[in-house]
Amino acid sequence: MQLRPLLLAVFLLLAMSAASAHAAHVVWSGLVIAENVPQPTPIPPELTKLEQTLKELFGYNQFELIGQSSKTLKTGAEDWLANSKYFGLHVDARGENDAGYTLNLKLYKEKDVLLETDANLSKSSPLVIKGPQVGSGQLLLVLVVKDDEVVHRRRHAEPANPITAGWHRLQRMIHRVLP
Amino acid sequence: MKTFEEKWTAWLDGQLSGKELTEFEASLTDLAAAEAEKRDALRLGAFLKEQLAVQALNNEEFFSHQIHDRIARDGQDRSRSRGTSTWWTIPRLVWSGATALALFVITTVVLMSQHPAGEPSEYLTQILNSRVDPAANPNATIYIFESKNDNKVTVLWTEGLQTLPADYAAK
Repeated sequence: MQLRPLLLAVFLLLAMSAASAHAAHVVWSGLVIAENVPQPTPIPPELTKLEQTLKELFGYNQFELIGQSSKTLKTGAEDWLANSKYFGLHVDARGENDAGYTLNLKLYKEKDVLLETDANLSKSSPLVIKGPQVGSGQLLLVLVVKDDEVVHRRRHAEPANPITAGWHRLQRMIHRVLP
Repeated sequence: MKTFEEKWTAWLDGQLSGKELTEFEASLTDLAAAEAEKRDALRLGAFLKEQLAVQALNNEEFFSHQIHDRIARDGQDRSRSRGTSTWWTIPRLVWSGATALALFVITTVVLMSQHPAGEPSEYLTQILNSRVDPAANPNATIYIFESKNDNKVTVLWTEGLQTLPADYAAK
């Protein structure tokens, strides 16, 4: 008789694990114009974490958002568009995998496709695409999966814990068995 | 006034006397048959007294000891059965714990062995393929690399795309 509460507790634990594996993520996508100007405006809050990286990579002092979109992925098969006046970034999510989401990206200049790429966007590794030169600046495309910031920072601060990684893998296995 | 049955019982027991005895015997139609019946009743009474006398126990202490011993044993059995009613006995608890620990170790080893140390981290974004319109950008080239700092940004670097006028930077 005392086995029943134990089994119930195990079942609840598995259900909670499966539920947490189901947690929705938000993918932020932005069209950014990077430029060197005498009086740079502050970087948009969505890019604050990437400011140093962007400056080191591209050598510009101002990063201005000309279009953006945030999409909450529940099934991993959504699609959306981040638009500016002349550019459009179409993102087509084609499923979730171990590392994040498989995405098909198309950069449009009005109706023309300038660039197309397929990527596995990781939950802890942003994607930056250098687009065409626009005037004296540069068009950049940025995609970030917004995840738990504490976990995100810890993953970068220390090597991946194999036990934690194993636990996450077990959660994904349970998630596959109990969709 | 006594009934006939009361007088008959008293006559059988020899408790009638004097005038009462004389009158009762005179009322009997067959005194000889009644006398014979009286003798039979007295014999039967004597026989029953003899056979139904209380038999004294000649080993009553041993008998009493046996009863006490049996009562004590019954009490012990009942308390022992009450103690084993739960499923979680100590040996079962130990075995359950050992089994759970073994399962945990096996699962951990199996899951950890799926991720060899030299394999690239699964937390990095991967570019699967990329293409630009070769008609509009015949000299375009694409590079893929990862930033060296903590952000681990994956960069898709294009060169040779057609330059656009500054108007295209409009929001």
